[in-house]
Amino acid sequence: MATTITKTETLVGKRIRRREDPRLITGTATYVEDIQLPGMHYAAIVRSPHGAAKIRSIDTKAAAAAPGVAAVFTGKDTEKVGPVPCGASLPDLRVPHHYILAIDRVYFVGHPVAVVVATDRYLARDAADLIEIDYEVLQAVADPEKALAPGAPAVHPEWPDNTAFNYHQEGGDIDKAFAEADVVVKQRITSQRLVPNAMETRGVVAEWRGADRQLNLYTSTQIPHLVRTLVAGMLGLEENRMRVIAPEVGGGFGSKLNVYAEEALMGFVSMKIGKPVKWIESRRENFLTTIHGRGHVDYYEVAAKKDGTILGIKLKIIQDLGAYHQLLTPAIPTLSVLMMPGIYRARNIRADIVGVFTNCVPTDAYRGAGRPEATHGIERMVDILADEIGMDPVEIRRKNFVTNEEFPYPTATGLIYDSGNYAAPLDKAIGIVDYAKVRQEQAEARKQGRLLGVGLSTYGEICAMGPSPATPAGGWESATVKIEPSGKVTVMTGSCHHGQGEETTFAQIAADELGVDIDDILVVRGDTAIVQYGIGTFGSRGTAIGGTALYFALQDLKAKVKVFGAMLLESDDVSFSGGQVICNKTGKTKALAEVAGASYRAMKLPPNTEPGLLATHFWEPPNFTFPFGAHIVLTEVHKDTGNITIRRYIAVDDCGNIINPLIVDGQVHGGVAQGLGQALWEQAVYDDNGQLITGEYMDYTMPRAHMMPWIENDHTITPTNVNPLGVKGVGEAGTIGCSPAVVNSVVDALSHLGVRHIDMPLTPEKIWKLANAGGNN
Amino acid sequence: MQDPVVLARAIPGCEGLERTGPDEYRMKMKMALASLSGAFEGKVRITEQTRPSSFRLVVEGTGRVGFVKGDGVLKLAAAGEGTEVSYEGDAQVGGTMAAVGQRLIDGTAKMMIKKFFDKLAAEAAS
Repeated sequence: MATTITKTETLVGKRIRRREDPRLITGTATYVEDIQLPGMHYAAIVRSPHGAAKIRSIDTKAAAAAPGVAAVFTGKDTEKVGPVPCGASLPDLRVPHHYILAIDRVYFVGHPVAVVVATDRYLARDAADLIEIDYEVLQAVADPEKALAPGAPAVHPEWPDNTAFNYHQEGGDIDKAFAEADVVVKQRITSQRLVPNAMETRGVVAEWRGADRQLNLYTSTQIPHLVRTLVAGMLGLEENRMRVIAPEVGGGFGSKLNVYAEEALMGFVSMKIGKPVKWIESRRENFLTTIHGRGHVDYYEVAAKKDGTILGIKLKIIQDLGAYHQLLTPAIPTLSVLMMPGIYRARNIRADIVGVFTNCVPTDAYRGAGRPEATHGIERMVDILADEIGMDPVEIRRKNFVTNEEFPYPTATGLIYDSGNYAAPLDKAIGIVDYAKVRQEQAEARKQGRLLGVGLSTYGEICAMGPSPATPAGGWESATVKIEPSGKVTVMTGSCHHGQGEETTFAQIAADELGVDIDDILVVRGDTAIVQYGIGTFGSRGTAIGGTALYFALQDLKAKVKVFGAMLLESDDVSFSGGQVICNKTGKTKALAEVAGASYRAMKLPPNTEPGLLATHFWEPPNFTFPFGAHIVLTEVHKDTGNITIRRYIAVDDCGNIINPLIVDGQVHGGVAQGLGQALWEQAVYDDNGQLITGEYMDYTMPRAHMMPWIENDHTITPTNVNPLGVKGVGEAGTIGCSPAVVNSVVDALSHLGVRHIDMPLTPEKIWKLANAGGNN
Repeated sequence: MQDPVVLARAIPGCEGLERTGPDEYRMKMKMALASLSGAFEGKVRITEQTRPSSFRLVVEGTGRVGFVKGDGVLKLAAAGEGTEVSYEGDAQVGGTMAAVGQRLIDGTAKMMIKKFFDKLAAEAAS
């Protein structure tokens, strides 16, 4: 009889350090740039310096003759490669043909025009400078509202109104709501363009093995399987002849939830020259050519009763799409519409979106993707309404919360909120900050001429994207669990984490279910030749959907372990716990490793049972999940400088059950950093000629460690019943909850001066003017 | 002021100015902006000549680090013993220079204009 120690300690719910961190923080992880292959060539891409221009001619002769150059390709050579795909569909959506290299016209600064391939990356770069392109410069338009004005330059000549789509959605009876209102508040609110700024820029290595008819594509992506399906299609290659590998991915934040021209271009180049080719995006290219986030101009109207009851919300979104649709570009603002009521009982809504082409790089998903915009809007509007009727921001929120009895709650936008207890995080946050006391402090400080602000946001968000009917490419996720003959466990997940810590959380789940040591579990992701298929990691879906697929695969596998264990124990009454199959009658046990070995050796098989221990599960979620929380931010505005100090930051988030509190807190920290970035510092600015004038860190302010406040994290736990783990997702919560709380706090600090709204980012110049002159901006 | 030899000496970084037609020149120049530097090739055109009081100068250059376009009117007016030269115009930059050098463009442009006029004044005096 085996003398295995029974493992009783459970790991789910524990603060376990991330298993992936040692290689990340010691610089020993393998990124695309670290891939070296024999005969490697290097690509440099020539890009448009103009926002809009016709290409009169391209002269590549000098470049082609330059030292080390293997090939030069222009749009004429790649014309037959399929277009960069847009996965989103909306009624009457106008989709410009997005060639991987420009043909006869460029549409934004950074638009790829030609590629030079050489034996050395510096030779490629030097040769790229020898390409002569004769442009006929055209008038560009970079501002979405200017692009809609009559007579504006047409981004795409075939659509002179620059309108890619109009989208309309209504719920309830909005006209009645506004007719019955005591008060209507209106505000224009912008959510500026942002550069996602993943620490690792994009990069691609393509390796064509002609004799095998096999294309290996290493790319820094959140969605390797979708890249394989789509890029194989673009190249006209059979999908099973292509392998996509996402090695270590140094952050994505949505910017790598995409299929980019360069991925197909490198495949094309490698197939043409028969050599492996590497392209690593420079930071300057990253600013110019990787998707941007946000880009909203929103017009809000909220109708309410005198007592603060919200009756209805009207919203018009002008979405700056950029020059093309990337994978999900037009779908992002529709997520804003879905979440426009926030967590409030607003039964009547009307939303209109105008998707506008501009001569800028496309916008697409960036941490929160549509929900930060919606949350910022509704949380600002609730404060503006409170100010209008003289009500406390806390009271007006309580008054309008969907109540606990109303779940599952159908919203006016067509969603069903799974579960919630909206007052709980608010109560907790108010307790932590001592709300009455800080209001008193604020009043006293004001008498002394100091400007203190108290701001809150009670956000709700939509996570676990999502049920397949609501997503462009399927919304399920898959997992395979294999117990090797030695009893070691390999988890293969279709989720493609890139910093979310799932090598740890997934191992925690598997360790608990199988009763094995966490060190016996390997979590593999990001390789289409190993992982069955997967949708990928985005939309806070990793644990809620990928983790659930894993959970179900583990249940199937446990059942099979029991069948083999019962055979070995010669018993028909067994249980499986602590890594052992136990005969319930005799108490005899068989350890997992023994069972696994027997299952592969297969000297004897249970009836109707295949050898081996492997289970795969594809899990389709029945609904999204809807996490929520309350963030409270105390600020001081410095009148003399316009600087803002964050005195305290309290984040109470409810993401359902928590697998690893350390990782959840880390996700909130990172999310808040990016929320603060938008609220206070970051903005991508194009001038009237379509030149990106914030193209490096000197002109684009990123949050840095010394700029971060201490974040006081806490949680409430309201499990979801959408999945058996009860988890909702937390990847984007910090970002979504943050920006409105910060802006509400600063507006609150200046409210006695007549300030009611300030658009982000809250730069010192803007704040100084308001603090010293008063009035609205 | 429209003598290519004099202009070539006065334009900062100018490495050659060659007449290609009436009031049209081809120019080679070097320019540095923060961490960027590069060679530009371009055209200089003189239009809207109103002798002796004003003319318009249009400069277009492209290089590895982007492009520059300048369009300005120079006015000459008698002032005591000498001539007062004033200018007004727009400059536009694009490509890498715009993306990474934005903050320094105004300062660099002013510096280059000052150098140009200082040099021109020196030429006039000599």
